[in-house]
Amino acid sequence: MTKITSRHYVFAGLFAVVTVSMMLNYSPDTVVSAETQKMYDFVESLPAGSTLIISFDHEASSLPEIRPLALAVLRHAFRNDIKLIGTALLSEGTGVGYRLMQQTANEFNKSYGVDYVYLGFKPQYIAAILSMGESISRTYPVDYLGKTYSEHPMLKDIDTYNDIAGVISIADGSLTTHWIEYGNARFGVRISAALTAAMVTTYDPYLSSGQLEAIVGGLRGAAEYEKLLNIGGGGKRGMLAQTASHLYVLILVIAGNVMYFRRRSSGRGNT
Amino acid sequence: MAISTITAGLLTLAILSFLYRDNPIYKVAESLLVGVSIGYFLVITWSTTLMDLLFIPLFSEHKISLVIPFILGLLMFGRFFKGTSHISRIAIAVLIGSGAGAAIPAMLNARTLQQISATIQPILLESGWLDISAIVVIAGVLSTLAYFYFSREHTGSFGWVAKGGTYFLMAFCGTTFGYTVMSRMSTFIGRMEFLLSDFLHLTQ
Amino acid sequence: MSRRLPQIVCLLFGLIMFTLYFLDHPTAKQINTLILVDYWQIIFAFTLVVGVISFIRNHVTAISRGNDRLYRLLSLFGVVLMPILALIWGIKGDSPFMWVFENVQVPLQSTVFSLLAFFVASAAFRGFHARSGPAAVLLIAAFLTILSRSSLEGLLPDFIPDIAVWVRNNPSMAARRAILIGIGLGSLTTSLRVILGIERTWLGGEK
Repeated sequence: MTKITSRHYVFAGLFAVVTVSMMLNYSPDTVVSAETQKMYDFVESLPAGSTLIISFDHEASSLPEIRPLALAVLRHAFRNDIKLIGTALLSEGTGVGYRLMQQTANEFNKSYGVDYVYLGFKPQYIAAILSMGESISRTYPVDYLGKTYSEHPMLKDIDTYNDIAGVISIADGSLTTHWIEYGNARFGVRISAALTAAMVTTYDPYLSSGQLEAIVGGLRGAAEYEKLLNIGGGGKRGMLAQTASHLYVLILVIAGNVMYFRRRSSGRGNT
Repeated sequence: MAISTITAGLLTLAILSFLYRDNPIYKVAESLLVGVSIGYFLVITWSTTLMDLLFIPLFSEHKISLVIPFILGLLMFGRFFKGTSHISRIAIAVLIGSGAGAAIPAMLNARTLQQISATIQPILLESGWLDISAIVVIAGVLSTLAYFYFSREHTGSFGWVAKGGTYFLMAFCGTTFGYTVMSRMSTFIGRMEFLLSDFLHLTQ
Repeated sequence: MSRRLPQIVCLLFGLIMFTLYFLDHPTAKQINTLILVDYWQIIFAFTLVVGVISFIRNHVTAISRGNDRLYRLLSLFGVVLMPILALIWGIKGDSPFMWVFENVQVPLQSTVFSLLAFFVASAAFRGFHARSGPAAVLLIAAFLTILSRSSLEGLLPDFIPDIAVWVRNNPSMAARRAILIGIGLGSLTTSLRVILGIERTWLGGEK
């Protein structure tokens, strides 16, 4: 029998906080941040008929966080009649990306090959990014479904980054960095990113220097984006639980510090 | 309830059981995850790269130029035998050399020069006021770089600058920790949403 | 020769890729694509296959020795199952391969990752103490960020999110930028050392 420790109480508390707040079925309003607004404005500024590459550069592990973000961005793009090319620089993003694109395309009655194409995975991200700058058709001779590149009407006049409006990297790690350092720096393609919250601060210097066009991050970012699109979604649904769990962590931080300073003042704490 | 939901739900609970303690049910789920992930990775790499870029063009379309990368790729299997492990170095050399060659301009341009350029901004505004934010950024970049400069001892005025760098680093780590909390909670919320609505039907 | 030839190949490919970065001539672009797609990606894919075979060999050896037999057998079952499903029914759309990915791999992997939420909460309680000046800065920055990214806008004074944004965009960004510059310079010199044959650890220890 495992001894119940303070760790177990902390775990049980988090479990209870999230479960109860989700069962309340209430979505608090969120204020849209300047960062999310910039991302929305970037997609909004693209003329109908222009083409974006949506790169699913994430693993299956971050799907619960990535999914609402990706759906919001895809819905915005399809709503504005932007043509989409789906790619994946991590193998696990391949299946996820295809499903998400298929789902949103069906919502907007978009046709495969005409409004969107899913090219799928290529390994070694640096090589993939650089070679797409030279020739996308050479990098992806066939798409994810096994059809040749030239079969798709929407790809007829597209072969390099010069023929597309930009790249949106949906990422949970450092792959967006490679899009910036190889795609943007070498070929000048505009890069934006939909990121897990943990990665947001990693990209701040690129955002500040203008190498990265815009970012939207985390479940909160998804909720803000959904608000801008005036739709519901996983971001909005999760906001109460997110807020409650944040407050729970803050309470833990305060409690931990109170206990630490009490111990220290009584001479028992290690300094 | 669909078999897919039951499978996903039970596997989710198996992993969550680790929160109590490490146990055989968790280990079974974990082992299955390792195997399935590697199997998935192998299939995707095989079908989207080796088939699409090598085997179909080489054997169906007779693109003879692919013989060389094919042989180089096969050299990698030399690693499995003691006497031939050195021949895989040639294939690795192609990867290492190409990567290093492509990285030099990228690192110099995108990661170093453009970042330095973005740091050097006017600190006196048109209004005549000092731009505190720009000063903080310059001070932060210089002091953090000083903190990571180990060729000189961190004493005297240089030591003070380096010590200032730790405060900037802590601001970065604190902000990142805050966002990491947000990220991890989002992932957990996502799983709970599945459990509570799809699996247990407790919420809409 | 077993070390000299790889070094020459490394130098050659390094110089070619470095030079191609600055060339926009159609011939240069063709050579670039040739190296990137036909050499780099294909050889890299082979290294991934080698990794998988290595994993299988390692597990088979451990099973034959009786170490964690059940768990290792399960892992091997997963490795073998996916290619079999892919071979019989393909990998697209609603194939069994995708079913296993979506209903076994995705829930397992994302739940493993979600466990981190609990450990982050535990770390916040047990280790996140203002022991010193820098630790206090860490604590305050984290506190402000967590608070400002909750949906408490109506309840919080406006200056809290403003301060959090300022901290992220200035002192925090400055530190991250310095780290980036440092990594950039480090990667640059390491790449040069590799191409010039000064850094040879990638060749391994054997002759």
